[in-house]
Amino acid sequence: MASKGKVLVIDDDPDFCEFMRIGLEADGFEVLTAASGKLGLELMRREKPNLVFLDVVMAHPTEGVDVTAAIKEDPELWDIPVIMLTSIMDTEYIGHFPTDRPLPVDQFLTKPVPMAEVLRIANETVGAQS
Amino acid sequence: MIDLHPLKLELVERIGWLIRLRWVAAAGTLAGIAIARLVEPALPVLPLVLVTGAIVLYNALFLLYARYLWRRRGTGLRRRRSPIFAAVQIVCDLLALTALLHFSGGIENPFGVFLLFHVIIASILLPRLASFGVALLASVLYAGLAFSELAGWLSHVHLPQLADPWRYTNPIYVTAHVTAVALTLWLAAAMASSVAERLRRRTQELLQANQVCEINRSELAEMNERLRQLDAARTQFIVMVTHELRAPMGAIISALNLVLGGYAPPEKQREVLERAQARAYELLDLIRDLLELVRARRIEGPAQGVPVRAEKVLENVLGLLRVEAESKGLSVEVHIAPDLPPVLAAEDSLRSIWTNLISNAIKYNRPGGRVTITLNRDDDHVVGSVEDTGIGIAREDMPRLFEEFFRSEQAKAMVQRGTGVGLAIVKRTVEGYGGRVWVESELGKGSKFSFALPRAPEEHTTLSPDKTLEPSQA
Repeated sequence: MASKGKVLVIDDDPDFCEFMRIGLEADGFEVLTAASGKLGLELMRREKPNLVFLDVVMAHPTEGVDVTAAIKEDPELWDIPVIMLTSIMDTEYIGHFPTDRPLPVDQFLTKPVPMAEVLRIANETVGAQS
Repeated sequence: MIDLHPLKLELVERIGWLIRLRWVAAAGTLAGIAIARLVEPALPVLPLVLVTGAIVLYNALFLLYARYLWRRRGTGLRRRRSPIFAAVQIVCDLLALTALLHFSGGIENPFGVFLLFHVIIASILLPRLASFGVALLASVLYAGLAFSELAGWLSHVHLPQLADPWRYTNPIYVTAHVTAVALTLWLAAAMASSVAERLRRRTQELLQANQVCEINRSELAEMNERLRQLDAARTQFIVMVTHELRAPMGAIISALNLVLGGYAPPEKQREVLERAQARAYELLDLIRDLLELVRARRIEGPAQGVPVRAEKVLENVLGLLRVEAESKGLSVEVHIAPDLPPVLAAEDSLRSIWTNLISNAIKYNRPGGRVTITLNRDDDHVVGSVEDTGIGIAREDMPRLFEEFFRSEQAKAMVQRGTGVGLAIVKRTVEGYGGRVWVESELGKGSKFSFALPRAPEEHTTLSPDKTLEPSQA
């Protein structure tokens, strides 16, 4: 079966990355994972995924936000849709989100995200690109 | 002493008031002399004006001295000298008034009652005994003047328009008059000084009450601030705990959702569930560590401990961990000094200290490395240490090492799962019993964690050593 598209998961929790990989691959996506914001950006530039799931809080509380800032500065990455994953617990870091500029983020989801929702978003977003 | 006591400050203010009043009195005296001269041509003007001049002169000197004291405020000089200064002024005034009376008819002059003012002023300004002294001086001066003139030792200025000559020549009248004046002065001193004294006492009490209120207020504010900080720390702790609990919980839910929803292919399901199980155990570990941490936080001093033999608990813990060490190919060396006294702690606490330190030394060691455990004593403490040949600790991580949930990058890279609570438990426990923990480490070479716990007092050590050993051998 041909791949429906490339999905990149950026999260420092390897279990979460693996679960996303299993669910998305079973539905026909090609899945790349990155354990840090830095690795994630590298993969985005090299692999040009069709969709990115980005965790907000990794080793640093704002690592995910920093990634979006880097995306904004790199026009090559502007076309890649980014879904941000947050936990309710991250509200204490809400203040770190820049409010003076729009984030290049297409949607926010709260963890844990049901796989049905992940697949729906992936299919809609990647489907809309082809 | 910068701030003057309010009562002394009042005296200082009154001295200024006394000096100002004296200018008015001098002017009044001159006016009085002028009017009296019209009525009574026999009045000798020159000596009266000279005495008034003397009053003006000494008042000017008093003013200069008062200004000097004002400039030296804060040195304590003003505080010490003010009562004496006030007394000197009152004595000068009494002498000047006596001189004025002498040149204006002595006992014939009705203005002799002005002595009363001076006694009242003294009663207000000076301590009680001093005001009686002033009343005594005033009576003696007045009586001395009247009797000296009666006896002819001092010349008498007779005022024919004002009084009959018999007044100053009749010993009985002079005696009665002088007695009445003296009694009046003494009673005035007694009454005025008693009122003044009571006022002073009330003021003192009020000031003290105010001071107590002030102290209570600052103590309350301090306590409030301490409580606020404690509360903020607790809230922060709860936020961190929930954060730590949520990560494994979220992973477990994702795993279950994946399998139950049929999103995981059959051959992957076992792997997903195994991962979920590992996270569930992680959650359990975390909860266990948190409980232990809460217990450690509750320890409030050596008094909560019982005598425990640290080497026995160590033996016990090593029995459980040796297998884990050997499976990593680590050699374990133990050096225990002879005749160690027991420490004051709970046995569970000591077990948790040893377990956390030794399992860290195993976990973060290199394969084939060494774990060296030593147990020594100094005068008041038993000192234990656990040394490894593992990853070590970066200098910049040292200050945060014992913080709850802190894990260094090296530790995370080597052992993915860890609660980050173990060292916090060790620190809280040891410090709870009045001891201390410290660490020496070099990145990449290894770490040495040490703790010192207060030894049990002698009577404890000889009381029933067998009984204290029992639980650790069980």
